This record gives sequence, structure tokens and C-alpha cells, in this order.
Amino acid sequence: MSNIAGKAYAMNVITPLKWLTTLRTRLIFWGAGKLPSTTLGLVTLSLIHYARWVILRPKDFPHLGPEQPKEDLQYCYMLFFSNFNGSWDQYVDSFSSTIPTGLDSFWYKNIKYTNSIPMLPFHRYITWNQIWTDNYYNAYPMASTNDVKSAQKVRQNLIDFARSTANATPDDFQRQYNKLLLSLQHDLSQMGLNPVVSLSASAVDRRLGKERRGVS
Amino acid sequence: MTTAADDFLDLSDIQGIVVKAYSRFGFPVARYVLFRIDLPAHGRKFVVGITPMITTGVRWTDPASIPSAATNIAFTYKGLKHLDVLDASLHGFSDEFSMGMKARRDIVGDTGPNHPRHWDPVWHNESETGQHVHILVTIDGKGETEVEARYRQILALLVECPGVVQLSGQRGGGSDDLPYQPAAAIPPKPEEAGFPGGKEHFGYSDGISTTFFKGCGADPMEVIGEDKPVKGDPRTLEGWAPVAAGELIFGYPDEAFEYPEAPGPPLFSRNGTYLVYRKLHENTGSFESYLEAEGARFPGGKEALAAKFAGRWRNGAPLATFPTQESADRYIAELSALQLKVWAGQASPAEQARYQELALQLVALDYGDDKDGARCPFGAHTRRVNPRSALRFGNKKAFADDPGALSNRRRVLRRGLPYGRSETPARDDGDHGIVIMIVNADLSRQFEFVQQQWITFGNDFKLANDQDPLPGNHGTSKNCRAGGRMII
Amino acid sequence: MANQSGNAYALALLCPVRAGAPPAGFDGQCQESYAAHLRYVLQSVRVSGDSPMARVPNTYLSRFFLLDDVFYQGSPALEEHLKSSYLVFCCNFHGELEPYLTGMWKTIESEVRLILNHCVGFSDQTVRDAAAFIAYIKKCEIKTTFYFNGSTDQPLAEQLKGLYLKQEFSKFAFENQGRSAREIQEAFGEFIKGTEPENTARPAWKPGVYDLDKVVAK
Ligand code: HEM
Repeated sequence: MSNIAGKAYAMNVITPLKWLTTLRTRLIFWGAGKLPSTTLGLVTLSLIHYARWVILRPKDFPHLGPEQPKEDLQYCYMLFFSNFNGSWDQYVDSFSSTIPTGLDSFWYKNIKYTNSIPMLPFHRYITWNQIWTDNYYNAYPMASTNDVKSAQKVRQNLIDFARSTANATPDDFQRQYNKLLLSLQHDLSQMGLNPVVSLSASAVDRRLGKERRGVS
Repeated sequence: MTTAADDFLDLSDIQGIVVKAYSRFGFPVARYVLFRIDLPAHGRKFVVGITPMITTGVRWTDPASIPSAATNIAFTYKGLKHLDVLDASLHGFSDEFSMGMKARRDIVGDTGPNHPRHWDPVWHNESETGQHVHILVTIDGKGETEVEARYRQILALLVECPGVVQLSGQRGGGSDDLPYQPAAAIPPKPEEAGFPGGKEHFGYSDGISTTFFKGCGADPMEVIGEDKPVKGDPRTLEGWAPVAAGELIFGYPDEAFEYPEAPGPPLFSRNGTYLVYRKLHENTGSFESYLEAEGARFPGGKEALAAKFAGRWRNGAPLATFPTQESADRYIAELSALQLKVWAGQASPAEQARYQELALQLVALDYGDDKDGARCPFGAHTRRVNPRSALRFGNKKAFADDPGALSNRRRVLRRGLPYGRSETPARDDGDHGIVIMIVNADLSRQFEFVQQQWITFGNDFKLANDQDPLPGNHGTSKNCRAGGRMII
Repeated sequence: MANQSGNAYALALLCPVRAGAPPAGFDGQCQESYAAHLRYVLQSVRVSGDSPMARVPNTYLSRFFLLDDVFYQGSPALEEHLKSSYLVFCCNFHGELEPYLTGMWKTIESEVRLILNHCVGFSDQTVRDAAAFIAYIKKCEIKTTFYFNGSTDQPLAEQLKGLYLKQEFSKFAFENQGRSAREIQEAFGEFIKGTEPENTARPAWKPGVYDLDKVVAK
């Protein structure tokens, strides 16, 4: 069991909200989808690979046959799934101080939601409603989202550069090469393992290394 | 803006080391002494005995109010336990504190040559959980004589309480068994005489930036460039506001408008804080020879390269404001000369004004006009450990117009001094480095975060696994091969 | 539809887990509920480069966990409970749902069975082929309300090729500092030959691998 796969952390949170509230929340999400400025903070923070919010009405819980009892719920539920770099403990402040209004409107009127500032009650609210991941897979555990985006740029630049300098003289090559380096100056750091972000994670790693139970 | 109304801190109940960087008050010499408590009753007696000597944060308004030496005290978790502090209070401490730094070595990157097994002998012979260092006493003073006198006064207390043992085993001066850690400022070079702040062993001027927090009792003008950036011109008071006191001291609201977590009852923790003590050896030989070799190929030469590492020229001028060595040298020469006049009370009003203007340039910067790192690289030490507004990456609107949104909760106070001498900087061995003490209210959110994410990693600066060129853990760490490289 | 952001797809499933315990003897474990056994299976599925998900084309990130119940928020909130445990599978991938699921079925059918056999309505008899698998998944899919893509929506192979090139080119730039124009040009020619930037198949990074020594597929 681990919420961590290399540089990514898997967050799962489930919180109740009333049916009427969901209407407004849907509207907020719809607005956020239309207005990039709502998520500008998240984009600049650049710690999230992918994140999503799912609002479930009682009838949205899949029902697959008579052998499964029907759910009988009053509340709707919001599920939040995120894949971000670092650990939640490390970055909870960044989330609450860079996008407080965003967080507050996304969790608008969830039952007992505390607002993202002050932070300690918010932190408790989230951990209380968090579910640990049983198995987490990341296709590029040594890359942060910054790295993935920068890699795309490096590749495109290299392809273009290789084409445009195919027949260049050495001097011309040098000039363009310098230009290439300049445009990639923030993209040329080496990747590697994540630092140990939590001692429980490193303990789990050690244990897994020794005695992983192999089912598949 | 800071006004007299911000005087809400009980400075007489807060230790001087928290509020004051002593070296700025003419205290260039220090000793750091460690003790173990064998008998709780004697431990308490020692604390009672030393209390009158403890220097508080009360403002030193004129030279006459400055004592000859300052004494301060800090305890480890085990130390408090050996004083019989109630379990109910002990349980209120954070894991980082109760575990101690050794047990957190993977988090702070103390691996390879930095592993605790290479620390000074005084830290050895402990079981994994059994810290036996219980008390740290710091003595700062005007000179050796004053510090020695205070040291004797403190040791005299031990006669009455033999259940408190002074721990030897600090490394220095060819010995592995010093009874205390000596430290002393390295004076500026002759041509930089007058420059505020001493040198460290790599040759950089240090002790320039500090953290200005609400109620700290310093001149409000000092808030400029020293605290959290807000909307407004970073060169003026409009661009800065003091950091909330609760970021640095228990019992006051912090930047998230709440009290920092601290053990109860409130009286026990109020006005206290966490202090991290680290002794960092500096490989001066490798550093110099690397600068020589690489500097020969680097446009601008070795000094420019050294500046790219730190974000400041070795003479102290900030790279983001003074991109060339010539401009930096001219600036520091003028500043130092004026500083001497100001100290001597011989500065004319015009010179006073010019001095103020220049002194501000030392710290009044937020990287707003260097958002691509053309002058000061993203990975430079000072830009990492206090990014000011840099983490907006030029996106002014990103964080609801709060330029410091990502740095305000990572601020720390730096205390301490260089130790040892490096007369032969061509060598790595020998005994020289810095004792750095970090003060903050949340070890995990502030010190450990800065040390791990900003010093031994680079993602927040879009630098993948690159580490801080100065205190990063380079080279031999298995985990990270990026060590030893930097993009400038 | 909020399940998609450009070419990135956010799949989320809630698969109800069978109630109670299998007849004694299931995998030698007596009286263990389907849910408990499923959790054991999930935690035992290999991770990193050995994960079965590394074989499923175009998977960026994925996770499994069990939702046993909802949380009570304390008075005056209502106390309510789920009647089933749900297997939650959450995945971000490149492309459209059906081709993705077909790819999954083709590559890791046996692992999928090992897991989904714990769930209501899924068995060797009811799900015999990719089409039945897709139909089953669609019954369990929950729709995303808001999807935030902070990364790219390229095919995985392009992302992995990019990462490989970023790593290799940063070494190249570092090692060739200060050399003459002709030398760099020559070295660069070799570099392009060796790294083939336009060939996404290889050399490139392998999916899921968390080890610099083993990450490159030559
Ligand atoms: C051998 C190790 C180190 C060396 C040589 C070093 C050197 C320097 C220098 C030359 C400066 C600029 C002068 C000044 O602003 O006072 C500086 C600033 C600073 N350093 Fe270090 N440092 C070291 C370790 C550390 C560590 C371990 C930390 C924190 C965990 C740290 C935190 C800071 C901070 C917060 C600043 C002020 C930056 C600002 O506000 O602009 N340093 N250091």
C-alpha cells in the first residue's frame, strides 16, 4: 500500500454534500472549465500531473444486479483524485496559500468543510476524509510534471534543430546551437529519484524490497 | 507597514538569539556548549541558576544597553524529558523534534559523508532513540575574554549540580574532544572594511539578509527586502510586509491566521520556538580549485561563477541588481566607505541619505525584473532558500496577486557563525565551516522543507534533481546523480 | 465531456465488490471476505516497471483502492453507510476509452480477472471477451465533473521519448561545453544518430521504471 510512486503522490478524498449544493458546485466547475484564470494558480504552481473532481448523486453509484444491495444515501458525495509532486504534508500550504479561493469554491459547502485558511483545520479535514491507495502506478516515476512538460519542449526543439542544421556550416551550426541552448536553458537538468518525502514511505520501500508478496 | 502598535511581542520573555543576529551588534565570537542531565533535580537547578544570565529579546536602544556577552539556551526532546517535563506537554511536540535530526537524516539528506556517523564524536554513542545531548548553551560576546568569563560563570553552576555533565567531543583545532564548539566571524577583507557582515570560508560575505517579522523590535525600514513581498515596488516599503510572528515564535498568529502547533499548556510553549543546530564543514580546497578550473572557461571568470552559485557576489552585492563584477565592486566600495563614516558619526546628511539608499539595494530585490534568471540563476543558493517572488515565474496574476504565496510559509531565521580557520584554503581537511542555527515554528514545513525540496532537490525551480550548489549534498549520494551540476 | 481534456482521458470506476466471503478454501484463506482478499491482491500487484499497468499502452498514471464506506462528519451531519464496498480504479491515459480498454484486455487480461473476479457481475462466465469487458467497465464508470490537466496529452510513447531526450541532451550539452564548433557539430551528428529523436519506439524510457540504470530501452 502506498500513496507514492516516485515523484507522484496519489490523493483520494471523499466528502459529503447536500444535493442542492451540488448544483452550485457544478456551476463553479463549469465556470472553471471556461475561465482559465481560475486555475492559473494551479498551472503556475505546476505540481499536478492530473486531478479531477467527481460529484456523485446517490443514484450514480453503479448497481450491477440483484445480488448487490441498493444504496440508500441522503447526501451526494464529492470524490477528489489528484496526482501531484511531493507529499501532501509538504505542499498543503502551497495549495491553500496559492489557490485558497479555488479550493474553497471547489469544496463549497461540503458538509463541515473548514475553508483552506486557517490551514490546520483544513489539513485535518482532508486527512480525515482521505483514503489510502492500495496500488499506485506511474509511467514516469522519475519525472515531475515540470519534467514531462519540459521534455516535450526539448524533443520538439531537437527535432527542429536537427532538421534546420542538417547542412549547416560549423559556424552557422554553432550560432544556432547557442540559440538552442538559450531557449532550453530551463530544461536541461537531470532527473533522478525523488527525495525521501516521508519516513513511512521509506520504511514501506525497504520492506517491499525485502518481502514483496508476488501475486502477479 | 510597521508601526509602534506592532510591539505586541513579549520581548522580555523571548530569547535574544531568536530576535537578534548577535553578530550585527558587535558580537563576533561565540561558544556552543552541550550538556547531559543525569539527575532531573540537578537539571532543574542548573536551569534556575542560568536563568538570570539568559539574554532576552528586549531592544538594545543604545550602546550602553548592550551586555558584554549574551547567553541563550535550548533543549532537546530528551533533555526536556530529563527535566521531568510532564508527558502531557512532551506529547504536544512535533515528531521532527521528538525524533531528533539523526532519525530524520533521510528527510534532510544527511547521507553519504554527511551521515550522522561522521558527525562530531559528541553525537555518537547514542542509541537510535537515545539522544544524550540534552542542553545547548550558546554564548556570544564582544571578544574571547568576555566569552571566556561567561563560560566560567556557567561552568561554576555545575559545582552545585553534579548531575549535569558538560559533554566534550566536539571536533576542532586538531582535537576530537573539545569541551565546546568555538566559533568566530571572519572579518571582511581590508578593501571591504566597513561592510556590514563578516565572511564565511568560501569567501562570501554572509549575514546580510535576515527575516523581519512582526514585532521583532527592529527598525521598520529593515522590513524592505527582508520580509514577505507584497504588491508594490520591491525597492520601497510599499513592496514589503513583515512576516507573521507565529511563523517563528509559538503563541502568536502565523501566516495562515492561526496559532502554530505547540505543546500545552500555552504558558509552557508561548514565546518559545524550535532551533535547529547544524555544523557544516566546508570543503574549501575543492571549492577553490573548482572555481579556478571552471572559472577559466566561464565568461566573467571565477568571481562571476562564484556569484552565480550564491546569487550574490563574494563581496555581498546581489547579482540580480548588479550583474557585472565592475558594478558590484563599485557599489560595495561606496557602501563600505559610507558605512565607516556613519559608524564614526562623520556622515553629512547627504551622505546619510546616500548611505540609506545604498544599504537598501543590498536587500531590496524580489527577482521580479529577473524572472528568467538571466542574472541570478534559478538554482543560486539565495534564490532557492528565499525565492521571494520568484516562484510566480513572471505570472503576476497567478496567486491572487500575492507574490510571496509560495515563500512566506518557508521563512526561517538564520543564526550562528563560521568556525575554525582556513588559512590554507587549498585543503578540504582541517577544521572550518559554519555553525548554522535555524529558528522556526514548524520544523517540517519550514526547515525540513527548505533543506529537502529547495536545497537537495530542484523541482520547485523547474530544475529536476539539481541541488543547491553550496549546501547541496553533491556527488556521492546514490539517490541523486544530478549532484554537482548547475544551470547558469 | 469532463472525462476528457484534449487527448487525455480521466477514467474512474466504482466496481461493487461481492458481499460476504467466498466459500472456505478460496486461495487457502478461510473466511476472508471478498473485500479483504481483494485488498490483499491489490497490494500484492507488482509496482513500478514490473506493474501490469506498465504493459497497458498509453497509461500515464493509475491507482486502485477500496472504498469500504463513506465518512461520517460528526454531529449534526447525518450518519450514513454504504451497503457495498467498491473497488475504485482511477486512471489517466492518452486516447479514447474503447481502444484503451481493448489494449488493457489484450495485455493484462489475467491480472484484470484476478482483480475483477471479486466484483459483482464479473466472472469468467459473464465476461468472455474484450467487448464484454468494455461493456462491464462502462457500467461501472462514473463521470468526472471537473478534470484538471496540468501535464500534456501526448501519446505516452512521445512523453517517454521526450524524457529520454531531455536526460540525454542535458548530458550532451554539459559534456560538450567549450568545444569547437566543428567538434560539437560532429558530436551532435552522433548524438542524433544514437538517440533518434523522431523514433518514438526506441531508444526511449521504459514505462514505470524507477531506476536510472534500467530506465532506457535501447
Ligand atoms: C555551507 C553552507 C552554506 C553557505 C556557504 C551559505 C552561504 C550563504 C550566503 C553567502 C548567503 C548570502 C548572504 C546573506 O544573505 O546573508 C546566504 C544566505 C542565506 N542562506 Fe545560506 N549558506 C549555507 C547553508 C545554508 C543552509 C543549510 C540554509 C538553510 C537551511 C541556508 C539558508 C540561507 C538563507 C535563508 C539565506 C538568506 C537568503 C535571502 O534572504 O535572500 N544557508 N547563505
